[in-house]
Amino acid sequence: MNFPKPPVGMLPGDRIAYSPIVNRKPLKLPNRARMVVWTITNVEEWDPTQTMPRTVLTPPAGGSPMPDIPNWCWHEYGNRVGFWRLLQVYDDFKIPGVMNINGAAVGAFPELVQACVERNWEFVGHGFTQRNMQKVENERDDIRKSAQVLEKLTGKRPRGWLGPGLTETWETPDILAEEGYDYVADWVLDDQPVWLKTRGKPIVNIPYTQECNDVAMMLIQHHKAKEFYDRAMDQFEQVHKDAKDSARVMAISVHPYIMGAPHRAKYFRKIFEKIAKKKDVLFWNGSQILDWYLKTGPKAPH
Amino acid sequence: MPNPMIPRERSEYSAIVDRPPLKLPGNARIVFWTIVNYEVWDIGKPMARQLLPAPTGVPLLPDVVHWGFHEYGMRVGCWRFFELFKKLGIKPTLSANARICEDYERVAAQARDDGWEFMGHAYEQGPIHKETDQAGMINRSMDIMEKFTGKRPVGWLGPGLTQTLETPDLLAAAGVKYIGDWVYDDEPTVIKTTKGPLVTLPYTIECNDIPVMIVQHHNSDYLFQLVKDQFDRLYQESASRAKICALAIHPYISGQPHRIKYLEAIYDYVNRHEGVLHWNGEQIYDWYKGTAAKQLKAAE
Repeated sequence: MNFPKPPVGMLPGDRIAYSPIVNRKPLKLPNRARMVVWTITNVEEWDPTQTMPRTVLTPPAGGSPMPDIPNWCWHEYGNRVGFWRLLQVYDDFKIPGVMNINGAAVGAFPELVQACVERNWEFVGHGFTQRNMQKVENERDDIRKSAQVLEKLTGKRPRGWLGPGLTETWETPDILAEEGYDYVADWVLDDQPVWLKTRGKPIVNIPYTQECNDVAMMLIQHHKAKEFYDRAMDQFEQVHKDAKDSARVMAISVHPYIMGAPHRAKYFRKIFEKIAKKKDVLFWNGSQILDWYLKTGPKAPH
Repeated sequence: MPNPMIPRERSEYSAIVDRPPLKLPGNARIVFWTIVNYEVWDIGKPMARQLLPAPTGVPLLPDVVHWGFHEYGMRVGCWRFFELFKKLGIKPTLSANARICEDYERVAAQARDDGWEFMGHAYEQGPIHKETDQAGMINRSMDIMEKFTGKRPVGWLGPGLTQTLETPDLLAAAGVKYIGDWVYDDEPTVIKTTKGPLVTLPYTIECNDIPVMIVQHHNSDYLFQLVKDQFDRLYQESASRAKICALAIHPYISGQPHRIKYLEAIYDYVNRHEGVLHWNGEQIYDWYKGTAAKQLKAAE
C-alpha cells in the first residue's frame, strides 16, 4: 500500500523493508554465545515547575495540581537512594552499565554520574530535556547539544541515541546519522539489530524494549513487583530458545525511582542471579552490540 | 513578595551513600512508623477517591456512594484499627483533618485517649492548592488540634501530600517542626524555609493503601506482600545504617473486613524481627534532632 509521504524525512517502510527473521542469514556471537542481554538505566530530572511526567499518587478528588511535590519527591528518591541499589546489582554481577540521561540532567546529580563515569558506563543520548522530540523547538540543535554535554562530561561522544519516550519525527534518523550517532534504539521492531536507511549514511537500530520496562509494567499496567521478574524470565527463556541458530538481543529497561524502591529491588536482582549462571549469554552495552553487528552482520544498505 | 523557593533551592541533591550513617539508640536498627489517616469528606464537594464509576461515567453531586464508602471507615473500620493497635501496644501517628475533632469527636477522642500522636493534615480533605487562605487554614487546623488534645502538633502532612511552593514557609511559621510530604529519601532530611529549618520524615506513597488498593487495584493480600518486601530490604540495609519503614493506612480501605487480616499479618511479620522500634513521627523527629544539629544549623 502507498501511504502519503511526509514533506521531510521518510516513512518507516522507506527506511527498512519488511524482513521475516527466519529468512535471514544467521548471526553468530563469539564463544558460541546464543544471545546478548543489555540493561538500560534511565535517569531523569523532573522540572518541579511543570506537570510531572508520571505519578504514583493522584491528588484527592483528581486533577493535576501544580506544583506536584509528592510525585516530584517520589522521582527524586530514585536518584538519592534507589539508584544505589541498582548499582550494587550491576557491580555484583559485572553488568556493563548503559545510561539514558537527558543532557540538561547531567549536572543535577554529580555524584551519581561520577559513579557511572568511574565504572566506564556507556552514556546514550536521550534528548536535552525529557520532552517529546516532536515538541522540541530545534531538533538538530537538541541532538547536537545532547552529544556535546555528554562528551564534555565523559570524554567520549555518545554513539547511541534513544529519544525521550522513544519519540521521533520523520527526520530523526537522518539527523542522528548526520550528527555522528552510530546507533538508535527507538525502533522496537525486531530481536536483532537492523539497518535503517537515512538520506545520508545508514544507521543501525538496536533492539530496545517497551515491555520489559518498569514504567509500562509498574505504572501503566499496575502489576505486582514480582511480575517484573516473571516477565523478564519468560522473555529470556523464549529468546534464548529462539536464538539456537541465529543470535538475538534482549533488553531490560529500568528507572531508579521504580525498580530502585526497596520493595521492588529484589525482583530486579533475581533476574541477574538467574541469567548470570547461563554460560551462553553475554552482558554487553549498546556499543558492544553495535561493533559486533558491524563486524559480523549484513553490509549497510545503499 | 519574592518567588517562593523551588524544591532544589530548599534541598540540594545528596546521594545517600555519601552521608555518614545515622544510628538509633541501643540495638535498634529500624523504626516502623505507622500513620493512620482520618479524614472528613464534605458531602457538598466531589469525593476524594472513587471506587465505583458513576453509572453514566459522569460523576454527579452529591456522591452519596463514596461519601458512604469513606463514612464506613469512621463508623466501623477505624474501630478495627483502635483494637489492633491497642492489642499491639503501638501508638501510631494520626494524620487527621482538624475537622474530625468537630465532626467525629468520638473517634478523635479515642485516638487522643489512646495516646496517638496528632499530626496536622489540613482542615478537611482536598488539595491544598485550592485553599484561598492557606496560612489561615494551616493555623486554624493547628489551633483546633491544640485545643482538642492540649498539645500543638509537631508534624504536618498535606492532604494527598499536596503543597504549593510556599507551603513549607507557611508551615514553619505555624510552628510545624516536621513534614511527611517529601517522600524523597529513606532518612530524615533538613530543608530550608524562610522561617528556619524544617525536617522531612520519610513518609511513603508506596507502602500506602491508596495507591496499592485504589489506584493500582491490587488484590487485598498484596499490601502485605509489598510491605514485607519493603521491610525485608530496609531491614537488611539497617545493618549498616538506621532505616525507617513507614506504612500509611486509611480506615475505609485497610479497615474493610476483607483487608484487615493482611494489615494484622504485617505487624505479626515485622514483630518477629529484633531491633524494631514502633515510633511515631514526633519520636523520630526528636531522635533526628539530637543527631542532626549540624544540618539544622546549616538551614538556619
